[in-house]
Amino acid sequence: MTTDLSVRLGRLVLKNPIATASGTFGYGLEFVEFLSLGKIGAISVKGLSARPCHGNPPPRICETDAGMLNAIGLQNVGVEAFLSEKLPELHRLGATVIANVWGDTEEDYVAVVERIGGDRRVAAIELNVSCPNVVKGGLVFGNNPQALGALVGRVRAATALPLIVKLSPNVTDITVTAKAAVDNGADILSLINTLVGLSIDIETRQPKIGFTTGGLSGPAIRPVAVRMVWEVRKALPRVPIFGIGGIETVEHVVEFLIAGADAVQVGTANFRDPSLSGRLVGELAAWCERHGIRRVAELTGTLKTRPRPEHKFG
Amino acid sequence: MAVNESLRVLRTVHYDATHYSLYLQAGTIGPQTRPGQFAMLQAGDGLRPYLRRAFSVADVTKVAGVPAMEFVIKAIGVGTTMLGRFSEGTPIPVLGPLGVPFPLDDLATTDRVALVAGGIGLAPLVLLARELAARKIPADLYYGGRNEMDVLKRGDFERFLGPHRCRYATDDGSLGRKGLVTDLVTQALDAGAAYRRLFACGPLPMFRALARVVEAAKLDASFALESEMACGFGVCLGCVAPTTDGRFATVCKEGPCLPPSAIDWSRV
Repeated sequence: MTTDLSVRLGRLVLKNPIATASGTFGYGLEFVEFLSLGKIGAISVKGLSARPCHGNPPPRICETDAGMLNAIGLQNVGVEAFLSEKLPELHRLGATVIANVWGDTEEDYVAVVERIGGDRRVAAIELNVSCPNVVKGGLVFGNNPQALGALVGRVRAATALPLIVKLSPNVTDITVTAKAAVDNGADILSLINTLVGLSIDIETRQPKIGFTTGGLSGPAIRPVAVRMVWEVRKALPRVPIFGIGGIETVEHVVEFLIAGADAVQVGTANFRDPSLSGRLVGELAAWCERHGIRRVAELTGTLKTRPRPEHKFG
Repeated sequence: MAVNESLRVLRTVHYDATHYSLYLQAGTIGPQTRPGQFAMLQAGDGLRPYLRRAFSVADVTKVAGVPAMEFVIKAIGVGTTMLGRFSEGTPIPVLGPLGVPFPLDDLATTDRVALVAGGIGLAPLVLLARELAARKIPADLYYGGRNEMDVLKRGDFERFLGPHRCRYATDDGSLGRKGLVTDLVTQALDAGAAYRRLFACGPLPMFRALARVVEAAKLDASFALESEMACGFGVCLGCVAPTTDGRFATVCKEGPCLPPSAIDWSRV
């Protein structure tokens, strides 16, 4: 039996549910020595801005237990260089490309999206409204349902491509921002971006990261991400979801699918093992075959919860 | 072309409580490696340490006739400590060779070059010394450390370059001159030493001081920079160094070997 690995996230159809997360996969081309770009479900490229961005002064990263903090500050080549220097080669290699975009203002986001226009080499737009490492933009939208809704509405009007909104976990209730995004035209939700964290060098009493705080990623955040995927799936059962957060193995992929994700994005693990995302595609097929799963999409949202008991006293 | 492969531990040589040489199978990485390039090594398959660690390839050599890569490592944290404890035969995931090597192609046997090492910064200079010796390019080594135990692999340097070409400085005077390695370099230049190029690797204070020395002497130089890295191949953008043109260069991909004139040392 061969499992059908293809998944459908609204209008976005992927050959398999293993994608790679923005900020952890460069522009994809850095990985050609380590895997076949055309074999993974999709790649979400480093967040693109209207103009090139230098990012934050170092130090930008530090390792933490089972993960890392980063405050890169969205360094990127800008949308023009991406379209002229990166996208043609990605297309030639058969990659399914998600263009992750960001800006300081609504106008910035719209400018990037309009520049991409209806380019058929781009499968979808992913809005980064959840970067914790920039002073403007980023979380200003991701933490505020009204600002998020207005931004998504403007971007929605500017593109016919499938629109993904990548949500921040740095909120009290992620279903509120999820609904704001969907009510204003998001087709798909990606969750989660990094959790804001702080690591301190106790000898110098300085933050280990130049920006002071950074975004926590890696296996340390996986249970939080799985929980948030489950919450959003319950609140918005018909909205397709990319699950993101600390995925290292095929079992982690399946865990996200069961929680309610239609597909996943592998993130920080791409740094530790640049061949991993390619390998997971084959491992997912083998896992499904061992478990008698004919279509991988059958797994999505199949969590069997136990009833939560009320307190008993005395 | 970088390769992601699993290479077995051939031998570990401990010099003292913190310094050691880790010899791995050369694999397909070793023969491709040029002086100044590095590799990312994963210490164990657990979650602590989580990320791979970047190490200069110190030498491409043989261990009991088996092609080997040598890494000279100082145990300062969980990853560098763990890598020193693996027994012979343990497979280690290795990604390499990575980064821009030292510029050597334009050198001729009529040129003379200087090698400057500080502490564990000796690592990329061993393979460089081997290569220079093979190409018969004369080189002087200036190597400083806190004490005699900090100055490693003197036998290899003296074999490749000649004992009379190797000069040492230590903070406590236990080996060579008492003082800083940059003082050795300054004195040699003041005494009339002329070099086609200077190659260096060491701690940040040494780089800062040496950058001023080579600028004043109008000396061409290449520094093998060090930085914390998550990926090693230009993707995480975590390892950057500020450049004089106002941007940030990836140490892993645009470096690690960069001219000090390209770095904005005031922002490092």
